[in-house]
Amino acid sequence: MMIENVWLVPLLPLAASLVILFGGREREDSPMPFVGIAAMAASLYISLAVIFDAATGAAALPFEKEWLWYSFAANLGGQPSIFEMRAGVLIDGAAAVMLGVVCLVSLLVQIYSLGYMHGDRKFKRYFAYISFFTASMLGLVVSNNLIVVFACWELVGVSSYLLIGFWFEKEAPPYAAKKAFITTKLGDLGFFLALLLIFTYAGSYNLVRLKETVEMGYLPPMVLTLIGLGLLCGAAGKSAQAPLFIWLPDAMEGPTPVSALIHAATMVAAGIYLVARCYFFFLASPIAMETVAWAGLITAFLAGSMALVPYDIKRVLAFSTVSQLGFMMCALGVGGYTAGLFHLTTHAFFKALLFLGAGSVIHAVHTNDMRSMGGLSKRMPWTFLTMTVGCLALAGIPPFAGFFSKDQILEKVFEHSPVMFAVLVFTACLTAFYTFRMLFLTFWGDGRDHHRVDHAEESGAVMTVPLMILAALSLVSGWALEHGHAFASFVGSGGAAGHAAEAAGHAAAAGHAINPMVLAAGVTAGACFFIALAYSLYAGRDFSRAQRLKSLFQPVFDLLEKRYGFDAFFLGLVDLADRIAVLCRWVDIEVIDKVFVDGWGLLCRVAAEISHLFDALFVDQAVDGCGYVSRDIAGRGLRSLIARGQVQEYMLYLAVGVSLFAILK
Amino acid sequence: MMEQIAFYSMAGLAVVSALAVVTLRNTVHCALFLGLSLAGVAGIFGVLGADFLFASQILIYVGGIAVLMIFAVMLMGRASDLTLRQVNQEWLAALLVCAITAAGLLRGAKAYLGSVAAGAPAPSTKPLGRLMLGDYVLPFELISLVLTAALLGAIFFTRKETLPSGGGK
Amino acid sequence: MTLAHYIALGAVLFVIGIFGALTRRSVIGILMSIELMFNAANINLAAFNRYLHPEGVAGQAFALFIMTVAAAEVVVGLALVLAIYRNWDKTYMENINLLKG
Repeated sequence: MMIENVWLVPLLPLAASLVILFGGREREDSPMPFVGIAAMAASLYISLAVIFDAATGAAALPFEKEWLWYSFAANLGGQPSIFEMRAGVLIDGAAAVMLGVVCLVSLLVQIYSLGYMHGDRKFKRYFAYISFFTASMLGLVVSNNLIVVFACWELVGVSSYLLIGFWFEKEAPPYAAKKAFITTKLGDLGFFLALLLIFTYAGSYNLVRLKETVEMGYLPPMVLTLIGLGLLCGAAGKSAQAPLFIWLPDAMEGPTPVSALIHAATMVAAGIYLVARCYFFFLASPIAMETVAWAGLITAFLAGSMALVPYDIKRVLAFSTVSQLGFMMCALGVGGYTAGLFHLTTHAFFKALLFLGAGSVIHAVHTNDMRSMGGLSKRMPWTFLTMTVGCLALAGIPPFAGFFSKDQILEKVFEHSPVMFAVLVFTACLTAFYTFRMLFLTFWGDGRDHHRVDHAEESGAVMTVPLMILAALSLVSGWALEHGHAFASFVGSGGAAGHAAEAAGHAAAAGHAINPMVLAAGVTAGACFFIALAYSLYAGRDFSRAQRLKSLFQPVFDLLEKRYGFDAFFLGLVDLADRIAVLCRWVDIEVIDKVFVDGWGLLCRVAAEISHLFDALFVDQAVDGCGYVSRDIAGRGLRSLIARGQVQEYMLYLAVGVSLFAILK
Repeated sequence: MMEQIAFYSMAGLAVVSALAVVTLRNTVHCALFLGLSLAGVAGIFGVLGADFLFASQILIYVGGIAVLMIFAVMLMGRASDLTLRQVNQEWLAALLVCAITAAGLLRGAKAYLGSVAAGAPAPSTKPLGRLMLGDYVLPFELISLVLTAALLGAIFFTRKETLPSGGGK
Repeated sequence: MTLAHYIALGAVLFVIGIFGALTRRSVIGILMSIELMFNAANINLAAFNRYLHPEGVAGQAFALFIMTVAAAEVVVGLALVLAIYRNWDKTYMENINLLKG
């Protein structure tokens, strides 16, 4: 049974990362990356075997296996007892799916990176980081203990920091890395507070036990809401939800395969996965649920609109990721547990595809700026073809993967609230528009920068083959998993059955549902319309209409380019903190240092001088006097009297002593 | 009665000879009287029934150590020594100290005035042998080590070139 | 004869030994006095063995050990004395005062 060995899945890449980091010498043709790829392949094999076992019913989900981590004597509720911290693996349907997705995407990204990072000075280190990144994420996925989840969560943050700032010799990447790290830390604060609350009220970090505790209703609703909001806060940081999404566009400074990994599988998925993993907390708190839904909705809309304007190809994709994450969050918030995870899965495939495709383009033309591209479809046919598949999937055109998952989300949202539904449908249409804007700008028309475009060449097989695999997955994964509700029943099988049932009850209570066919047709039509619009604006050689449109809506464009002022807001916060720090520094130096520290020092010095004088005048003289008396007066006299070097005299003194003992009995 | 005669004669021999050892001027005479005194002690051992000790005393002390002393005296002796005082200036203080010590020790001996021997003494050579090669075999071997060390030390010290010249004033 | 007689004899011999060690000027004289003290101790050991523990011979065994140690001591002592005599030409204690500070 492969599921018994599932704990190996995170440990293999971890070991591989250590081997790569410490083994061998940094060389351009270092063989070390193959260690990482081999470990990843092994992990993928285990993950797929677990999924296969679970799907065929050979292994029962949820599967839990844990070991004693540490224990100590505790005083719980007035009763002295032994507190045991156990850590282990908990595999339910969602975890199994995530394992497969993460391993697959990471494997493809690593293979792709062989080509993309070829010739980089830090070739070996890059693969060590990637393996470590994946290992952290896998650890987060499998762990059954929230503390371990938190540790892995932070490790994900650390490795993302290392990878975003991978080219730290440049100016922007270190800044972006710091921004990502600090922004996500802001969210982690909420996660941490939630952890403290959980332990205070539930006394355990074991997910299974916590689920029982919550479902028995042992926790007060207020606490549940706070826990839910804290977890949401952590998830918002990691998964780039409003207003903490500002780091994700900057995270584009890392190598493009890393972006693919961050956006598809390892980092942003962590937040969604955390909400799904701790879903029982949210189910128990309607307020937290509603907050999740609205946070997702707002994020989806804001990010979707912001994706309309940038010219940086990776930035468009980054905003689209934020927007899609908003979709997932919203789905989770309205009770669409399986819909959210379904979208997470399909999105992982086509977003990895799009990023790797963008990487391929960037690799060929050496720029991110779409204004310098154009007409690349003839030069890079495979990249073009696969990216088109990815764009269709992202835009939600049947029969590509994104259509099915987005459709499910929209259905769920409509059951919940028509207003949210309307906003999401509009956002979905925007998605189609900006996706194809990017595609047309990159591949259609003429090369605008001939110097770059004319020298562009199709990337090697090591890069295009992962693209093709992902394209195939983007094409088939949607209907294959949708077919007969395979995904829903699989994910629902592992502990989430309760969620599904409850969600269904929720929908029935809301009382309205939409005909799926109507919905699918409507959304597809809207998406097609916006694709056509994008075509008319951007596919040709002349962008005069786009320019006119832009000048017509100039204030809106400005607002979008400023990202609704979120960046400015956070920079203002940082600036304010800076000013406060300057003030504190002034107080520290001018007041505390000068008055208190220096004054105290002066006082001490004066006292020391006095003490020194006393010491030299009285104490030292007294000591010297003692020495003089004992050495020169008493010493010399006594020595000449009794210590004449005559052994027999010494013996006589001894004998006197002995005689005293003899008579004094 | 015989025992008392033997004890007093031997004790007298030992004590008188010892007094001669510490008072005579001629060092050769001193050494000879030392032998006599040691022989007196050997007699005391005989009175006590310690036959093996008696024999050892004669062999080691009278036959060995006293003879060694005489040799040493003869090696170092000078004619001028015979005319010199052989007792130093502190003899009066030493006598006082010795008198006090003797008084204390004799007062301690008084406690055993009532203690008499139980039965006749048994021959002790055989039990001594058993003891030496039985319970006390380790000290026995150790003492042989000490003797070897002493032998080596004596050889080392009497080599001519070992001590630095000069030194004392 | 009581034990006290032997102890008294030992005490007298011991004190004579002390007196000699304190007053003799020549180094050999001191060595001889020390031998007297050893013998006094041996008398005590043998007497205690005879009077207090007549069933064993441990006291005599110790006396034997002391004799051996005394022999070793006198050998080393005489060797030292000879060395001093040969190197510095000194036999009297008052002339050997290296210990003077």
